[in-house]
Amino acid sequence: MFTVLLPLTLALLAAPATIIVGALKPAYAAPVGTAFAALAAVATLWAWLVGGGVVDLAWVPSWDLRFALSLDGLAALYALLATGIGFTVLVYSYRYLPLHLEHEGRPEPDAVRFYFFVLLFMGSMVGLAMAQDLILLFVFWDLTAIASYYLIGYDDHKEESRASALMALLVTGITAVLLLIGVLFLYAAYGTFSVPELARRVEPGPLLTGCGLLVAFAGLAKSAQAPLHFWLPRAMAAPTPVSAYLHSAAMVAAGVLLIGRVYPLLQKSEVLLDALLVFGIVSMAIGGVLALTRDVLKQLLAHSTIAQYGFVVTMYGLGGPYGAGGAAFYVIAHALAKSALFLTAGVVTEASGQDRLSRLGGLRKPMPVLAAASGAAAATLTSLPLTVGFFADEFFFAAALERGLLFAGIAVASAATTLAYTWRFWAGIFLGEPRAGTNAGVHRIPALLVAPVVALGAIGLAGGFFTGLFEKLAEAAGEVSFKAPTPLDASYHLELLPEYIMALAAYALGTVLIVSRPAWSGAALGFSRLGKLVGPERLYGLTVNGLNRLSDLVHQLEIRNLRGRVTSVLLPTAVLVGAAVLVTPTAGAYQVGEFRAGEVPLMLVMLAVAVASLTTTFARRHVTLAVVLSSAGFALAVVYAFYGAPNVTLVAVLVETMLTLLLVATLRLIPYRVLHRQAELPVLRRNRKVFVSAVAGAFAFVVVWVALSQPPAGDTVAEEHVRLTSEAHAKNVVTATLADFRGLDTLGEITVVVLVLLGVATLLGGGASTASGGPAGVTGSEQPAARVVTRAVARLLYLPTLLVAAALLVKGFVQTGDGFSAGVVAALGILLRYLAFGHEEAEKLPPVRYATFVAFAGLLVSLGVAAAPLFLGEAVLTHYPPPGKEPVHLGTLELMTAVLFDFGIFLLVFGFAVGVVSFFARAIAREEEDTGPGAPLRGGGKR
Amino acid sequence: MILYAALVVSIVFASGTFLLLQRDLTRVVVGIVLVSNSAVLFIIAAGLARGEPPIYPLPEGGEQGLRVSDPLVQAMALTALVIGFGVAALLLAMVYRLYTSHHTIDLEEIADVEMRQAEALERADDPEREEVPAEEQDAEPEEEREWR
Repeated sequence: MFTVLLPLTLALLAAPATIIVGALKPAYAAPVGTAFAALAAVATLWAWLVGGGVVDLAWVPSWDLRFALSLDGLAALYALLATGIGFTVLVYSYRYLPLHLEHEGRPEPDAVRFYFFVLLFMGSMVGLAMAQDLILLFVFWDLTAIASYYLIGYDDHKEESRASALMALLVTGITAVLLLIGVLFLYAAYGTFSVPELARRVEPGPLLTGCGLLVAFAGLAKSAQAPLHFWLPRAMAAPTPVSAYLHSAAMVAAGVLLIGRVYPLLQKSEVLLDALLVFGIVSMAIGGVLALTRDVLKQLLAHSTIAQYGFVVTMYGLGGPYGAGGAAFYVIAHALAKSALFLTAGVVTEASGQDRLSRLGGLRKPMPVLAAASGAAAATLTSLPLTVGFFADEFFFAAALERGLLFAGIAVASAATTLAYTWRFWAGIFLGEPRAGTNAGVHRIPALLVAPVVALGAIGLAGGFFTGLFEKLAEAAGEVSFKAPTPLDASYHLELLPEYIMALAAYALGTVLIVSRPAWSGAALGFSRLGKLVGPERLYGLTVNGLNRLSDLVHQLEIRNLRGRVTSVLLPTAVLVGAAVLVTPTAGAYQVGEFRAGEVPLMLVMLAVAVASLTTTFARRHVTLAVVLSSAGFALAVVYAFYGAPNVTLVAVLVETMLTLLLVATLRLIPYRVLHRQAELPVLRRNRKVFVSAVAGAFAFVVVWVALSQPPAGDTVAEEHVRLTSEAHAKNVVTATLADFRGLDTLGEITVVVLVLLGVATLLGGGASTASGGPAGVTGSEQPAARVVTRAVARLLYLPTLLVAAALLVKGFVQTGDGFSAGVVAALGILLRYLAFGHEEAEKLPPVRYATFVAFAGLLVSLGVAAAPLFLGEAVLTHYPPPGKEPVHLGTLELMTAVLFDFGIFLLVFGFAVGVVSFFARAIAREEEDTGPGAPLRGGGKR
Repeated sequence: MILYAALVVSIVFASGTFLLLQRDLTRVVVGIVLVSNSAVLFIIAAGLARGEPPIYPLPEGGEQGLRVSDPLVQAMALTALVIGFGVAALLLAMVYRLYTSHHTIDLEEIADVEMRQAEALERADDPEREEVPAEEQDAEPEEEREWR
């Protein structure tokens, strides 16, 4: 278990560690991330060498999901690639990225984001490689897609990057859903998500074929196989290290990893294998031909990747021990070679400023080391003898030959194409005559950029002699896929094997292709053009554009006539409600209710509420509107009191105070001119509005009347709550309900409150105050005497309000009061400061400065209290001490977790209220600064 | 009393609806506040029992069982009040933001401006260009010749 978890944990921790270190000191992000990658690589290798391991824990037992990981051969291979190549790429990025950022004119701390996503990519690849549960696999699968989205779109100021990132995300994301669908169908039929389990249970048939196609299609799209190959060349918009990583060990490799993982299922169906064969061969052809036509370095390599993964898919399609084992071997060889070539392209472009073959050449003289190292990598890719690539192709030929001469011919042709375009790449850069103006800065190449290429090239060469480790890895991986040993013999033979003849034929044909370029280049370019005209990328473009237009259309409909939209929601609702009212039996449904003499005061206050509400509809001036609204609110508070709800009354009064102040603050923020225009607005279509609202009111009336007329049921929850309150060590039933019985509702509610605070902070700028010194000082000295009294009172009341708040809080369980009221009362103390001293002074109070922080702290406290019982094996929101046990007393204070929960609410509401007020106050301060210190705001702003 | 409470709730609700239909955004916010007020009043009025505050020591229970006000609706009303306040604060902040960006708080004027902006955006950059990567890099034929 430890052997599995150690590499995975290291790989998954890398990204968070990097971003934390990066936040403190951006320069340390790269070394820390690189160290993690190196550790993860070493840990993976060690864990595999000591025999791997298995982790199998229940994850969501009710859905049969298991957290099942296994470090088998396949997992070890891809995890090693992800961490090893990842390490190399990170070393390279350490030098490359500062150059890139400087080139793009971006600040250096942006690098942290790059490292974070590369390492997230690495971590999710390691998880993906080890996952045995298909849902777990799907989670990691999507994580890689997200990481790739941010990496491809890393230069997010470029439109090209953004569009390419979106394309990669859409293509791989939508096909990921196909994967999920296939997996769910398999689960429905066989009752398990576990790959080994499924391999035992699945039987050939239409279900397997269908699901297999869905799953394989996801893998093919991720591996950029035709017809969904088009996203990969676009993804070259990413910085070069990303391309190198994406192509060799991460994103694209994930596709064939999936195919290798579910291969035990796939190989049960001939149809599926044949389908893989078709996709693979078509991709080899398309990728190969297009690679021959491309001029931009990275584009050439991208198309080469399409072709090369076509080889791997073809091998899986061919099947047999050479197919399954050889595919794994091929992936290793390709990863080494392709990452080295991409890094070469990056160095060359960085040194010469050119990224096109047609503008490069003759660089062997200024950079001999790079030329040799990337030559070794190119030889590996083209499978020349004495490199590890030679054996990769040997297995490919062997698998093809087993299937028949036709496939052998295709294999030779594909290998020949590889030779042709790889030669074109390498020779185009390093041979020939130097181009004018390109070799200028070439001597400045840092050693750290060349070293990774040298290392990768050297490993490729070494693999040509010491094949042991590669062979062992690929055999182990092949066995996982093939479910039988796949002996791979990677050694040179003296007799002339058929594979050797095929290799010689491929070299010969490749040389012919290179020499005869003028003869076919026109045709190849024509093919490329045709693909652009009618290819799948065009279809993608049309689809995206169509969807965009549709969304534009809907958007226009929405904003052109907002109220029309609202009506279109309300009207059907009204019709439904009306229908419900009509079909409801009327007998006993409408009770007038009895009128008691004692209720006359209540009725009078309710009358006041109704009148005040009606008055708002007549108020023309905004200040009148605010005053009438708050009078309705305060009257309502009195109504609550008559209903026997002191807690609600208290909160209503407090909330109404705050709301009135905020409303007035908003009115102050908006110049009188603008408001006045609204007030003087001709009353257009007034009759229609009156009619609509009268209808709405009538409906509301009927519904409310029916609802209120329902007689109480026998046993009510309320009685239960009242009874249980003493067991919860409380006296106030409402507070106990909020903090204990229905604590989950409260949790949801306070989360919303914090979100609102964040919303207000975002909307009102939230930044530090812009007003400093000046205006407030001036106004301070010229205040009328009345202000002095207010100030004295405010100062006097500041501490008492906090005291009252504390009393409300701690006594909440016994008397009226709770966290909400306490929070708002405490906030009112701060508010008073604002009113008396203005923004400047109040800003100095600690609660104001840390309001958002206080709110979050409150949320954390409440969440912590709610979640803590989980660790003790109890349900969420279990409070201590349990019923029947006496709580510890500290004076009159009872120590209970429910009170702590309430304390969290207090902090949150306090922080929220203070925060909202201070944001409004800052907005006002800014506005005042704009209009000048002395100028009365309402006289009309500059705008 | 039932009828009366229903009447008051619906009057508050209708007033809120009327304000919601206005062009003036501050009135819209006031309308929303009124609608949420009517909801809270409805919740409180829907309590199954009415009497003393539900705080221990409870008054002596008669044969009707519960002599205290229904605590459940009060808890709900408290939640509703706080959320309602939060929503109102957010809306007010939004109104101010709309004013700073559009210099008006008239819904129809804002909608007009939005429309014009959307159209300008469309004219300025074709969606074709925005969402699909730019066409590029088949090796240009002349460069191709140069390479050879």
